[in-house]
Amino acid sequence: MASKKTAQKTLSLAPVLDLNEATALHEKLLALKGSDIVIDASAVERVGALCVQVLMAGAKTWEEDHLSFTFSKVSDAFEKTTQLIGVEIDHLVAKEI
Amino acid sequence: MKKRVLTVDDSRTIRNMLLVTLNNAGFETIQAEDGVEGLEVLEEANPDVIVTDINMPRLDGFGFIEGVRKNDRYRAIPILVLTTESDAEKKNRARQAGATGWIVKPFDPTKLIDAIERVTA
Amino acid sequence: MDMNEIKEIFFQECEEQLAELESGLLKLNDGDRDPETVNAVFRAVHSIKGGAGAFGLDDLVSFAHVFETTLDCVRSNRLDPGPEVLKVMLKSADVLADLTNAARDGGSVDEARSRQLIKELEALANGEVPQASAAPAEPVAKPVAAAAPPPVNDEGFQPVAFSFDDFDAAEEPPLMEMPTYEIVFKPKSDLYAKGNEATLLLRDLSRLGEMSIHCDMGALPTLDRLSPESAYFFWKISLKTDKGEDAIRTVFEFAEWDCDLEISLIEDEVAQPGEELPMQPVPFDLSILDDEPAISVGVVEEEEQLASRQQDRDAAVAAAATASNVLQMAQSATRAPAEKAAPAASAAAQSAAAQQAAASAATPTIRVDLDRVDRLINLVGELVINQAMLSQSVVENDTNGTSSINMGLEELQQLTREIQDSVMAIRAQPVKPVFQRMSRIVREIADMTGKSVRLITEGENTEVDKTVIDKLAEPLTHMIRNAVDHGLETPEKRLAAGKSAEGTVRLTAKHRSGRIVIELADDGAGINREKVRQKAIDNDLIAADANLSDEEIDNLIFHAGFSTADKISDISGRGVGMDVVKRSIQALGGRINISSKPGHGSVFTMSLPLTLAVLDGMVVTVANQTLVVPLTAIVETLQPEASAIHSFGANQRLISIRNSFCPLVDVGRILNFRAIQANPVEGVALLVESEGGGQRALMVDAIQGQRQVVIKSLEANYTHVPGIAAATILGDGRVALILDVDAIVAASRGQSLKPEMSLAAAG
Repeated sequence: MASKKTAQKTLSLAPVLDLNEATALHEKLLALKGSDIVIDASAVERVGALCVQVLMAGAKTWEEDHLSFTFSKVSDAFEKTTQLIGVEIDHLVAKEI
Repeated sequence: MKKRVLTVDDSRTIRNMLLVTLNNAGFETIQAEDGVEGLEVLEEANPDVIVTDINMPRLDGFGFIEGVRKNDRYRAIPILVLTTESDAEKKNRARQAGATGWIVKPFDPTKLIDAIERVTA
Repeated sequence: MDMNEIKEIFFQECEEQLAELESGLLKLNDGDRDPETVNAVFRAVHSIKGGAGAFGLDDLVSFAHVFETTLDCVRSNRLDPGPEVLKVMLKSADVLADLTNAARDGGSVDEARSRQLIKELEALANGEVPQASAAPAEPVAKPVAAAAPPPVNDEGFQPVAFSFDDFDAAEEPPLMEMPTYEIVFKPKSDLYAKGNEATLLLRDLSRLGEMSIHCDMGALPTLDRLSPESAYFFWKISLKTDKGEDAIRTVFEFAEWDCDLEISLIEDEVAQPGEELPMQPVPFDLSILDDEPAISVGVVEEEEQLASRQQDRDAAVAAAATASNVLQMAQSATRAPAEKAAPAASAAAQSAAAQQAAASAATPTIRVDLDRVDRLINLVGELVINQAMLSQSVVENDTNGTSSINMGLEELQQLTREIQDSVMAIRAQPVKPVFQRMSRIVREIADMTGKSVRLITEGENTEVDKTVIDKLAEPLTHMIRNAVDHGLETPEKRLAAGKSAEGTVRLTAKHRSGRIVIELADDGAGINREKVRQKAIDNDLIAADANLSDEEIDNLIFHAGFSTADKISDISGRGVGMDVVKRSIQALGGRINISSKPGHGSVFTMSLPLTLAVLDGMVVTVANQTLVVPLTAIVETLQPEASAIHSFGANQRLISIRNSFCPLVDVGRILNFRAIQANPVEGVALLVESEGGGQRALMVDAIQGQRQVVIKSLEANYTHVPGIAAATILGDGRVALILDVDAIVAASRGQSLKPEMSLAAAG
């Protein structure tokens, strides 16, 4: 899976992932299509359902492309919100060894 | 950080009541007197939530809400409308204009704060 | 700010709204059909209702509600605001004002009247147009038939009385078992567009009890087909709560229209329909979602401190950039350490200031306590006196007249004058509120007398000092009453005289040569001079053979105890004659006179100073006393020549000016400053015009100069002195009396009129 380590891109999420950010996030992800991606969600203070949708659509797309889509770090707020709304991200979070 | 509330109401009485209620509840309050001023101070105020009256001179609440929703930067802000009765028709128009929720006047401080808490993170 | 202060603000605001309401209704009455006028009227009532509700002023709320409902019919073009409709509305505005006053000051209102109006308003809202009736306000003491129907507004809502007790039993959860609800929540894209957020709704839902959730992502497309602001997720939730379905619905109250929501109570716990779905329990601590992470106060202060230091640096840089501006440098130098010394305070002040700046960004006005303005005006008065004294002592001590000191003094004088004008302007207000009050007076008296009256106001934006405005209402009220009661004829008489049945009263304000002139004109019958004259003779006011001009006869009505009404009517029964009006106008430093045209009506003209604080005066000497004569009264000054002086009678003298004769009045004699008449040739004559229209030449010994003086009330500091209007303090610190020209002239007329006042020695 992680065979092409050089092509791996990182995306850091903004602190506020609201209605406005959904479109921006969508564009950022589209631009990174075709590469393995590591998402840094450590700065996220607030996340709305629309941005979770975008991220999950990304995970789905990356999966179809057989590329890796992982969260390197997630903030407490990000983790708790996704849990609250029943969106499972455990399998996407990079496990510490 | 305190949550910032922008209130838009032409009645000095209501403005003062909002100010006292919101400040006591630990919000930072910015006030405008009508829709036109509300839109003018939007950027400076950069609120987390807006509370607006409907009947106002120059630009009423409906027009103000539409203005906020058209603004690329501020369109995501939750907007609560103050209505005097549970006036279904007005509520409906406010919703169509893009209001998030409403508060019935004369407002009970707890209900006001509740409504704000409900639409803000 | 506490609730009482807000309440005070509410009542202030009510006054403004009531004025707005009345002026809007009057505009509609004049045929204005601008929707904004109707809106403004509606808003005024709506706003009063809103505030009144907040303070639990139920009487006010319920009346305002009915009024608002009827106005809403006008607003939505379901009711045409014709004259009869507006009559009801204007009366309703009056009642609303009464209710407001009663709510503020205690007091009671005419309940029968407000009940009657509520009925009339409701009838209008229900589409019943009132009949035009010529009868003056019928007494409202009708037996109160069946209780008035509860107010029904146009949405068909009826207030329903309920008690919370009714709910308690129903809401009581079954013992032991907590019910479980299955909720399907399917947001639409609009939900997000309107600023609602599914995560927050789910957060609130989770607070109701034990929640498990399943997010259905089946509709989610891949990234390239995704529209980022559309709703794809939906949720199935199982919630165990004792709060009831209503509590669940309340969570979705704002989102109801923008989502599909199914809530069902699961009776049998075993057969959970959500069983086949992987449900995530949501048991954890949700505190992170409740609030933003709390930042300790210390951190905030540190941030603000940094910001303020940055600002100091910026200020210093800016100041250095314009180094030539020494003042600015000095300012920034003094400001910087002060801010460092109290960073917390300055941070607080800054945020407060920012808040205020935001709040007042588009506000062109501020509200200031009148006390503060008055204090400022007093201080400026002292400054004017002080400046005059300084000038005088410089003149006395520095005979060389060092030019720089003199120039500085001149500048100081100019600045003082400008400050004074500006400060006076703060207190200047339009006469509008007083004029507006008059329209109610007119309506009430028209009702009482059965006359039909139209009040036209002009120049209501004319500004005058607030102290003058406050004292204007009373005399104006009496004059308006008088004009409608005595001036205008009954509709029948008017028609017989070939006039329209409706009488017109015109109230005008304008500025004229540094004074405000208020005119009250009616198109009634005018003064019946024969009747007035006869009455004056009967009352021993004039000699039976006195030869009076029409103008002098007209002005007789200002005499004490003079009333020509055949019978004491309800209105004049309030016991106020025109003499009282005249005295209160004079107390304001004003003049009043009347001109009348039989059959065509009368015009009362009042001329008042713009302020009661300062006066342009001519400083004169009379019998070694320094007096000030108001400049506005003086037409011209002249040096009498012996040949122009003519004596007649025992001690009357006339002076001929350009071929006309004018009575000569020795001020010193009238004020009892001296026992014998002064020689006119040794003095100066001031030609003055009195409110009666006639000219008089006032004899004084010498003119010292002209200057602006600060008026100090004699009544407040000493006692009223006949012939003297007030006092002032001059540059040399001496007190000088300000002459009441009209009183002096009136006193000089002693021979044709009974003396109005006995001139005791003044001072």
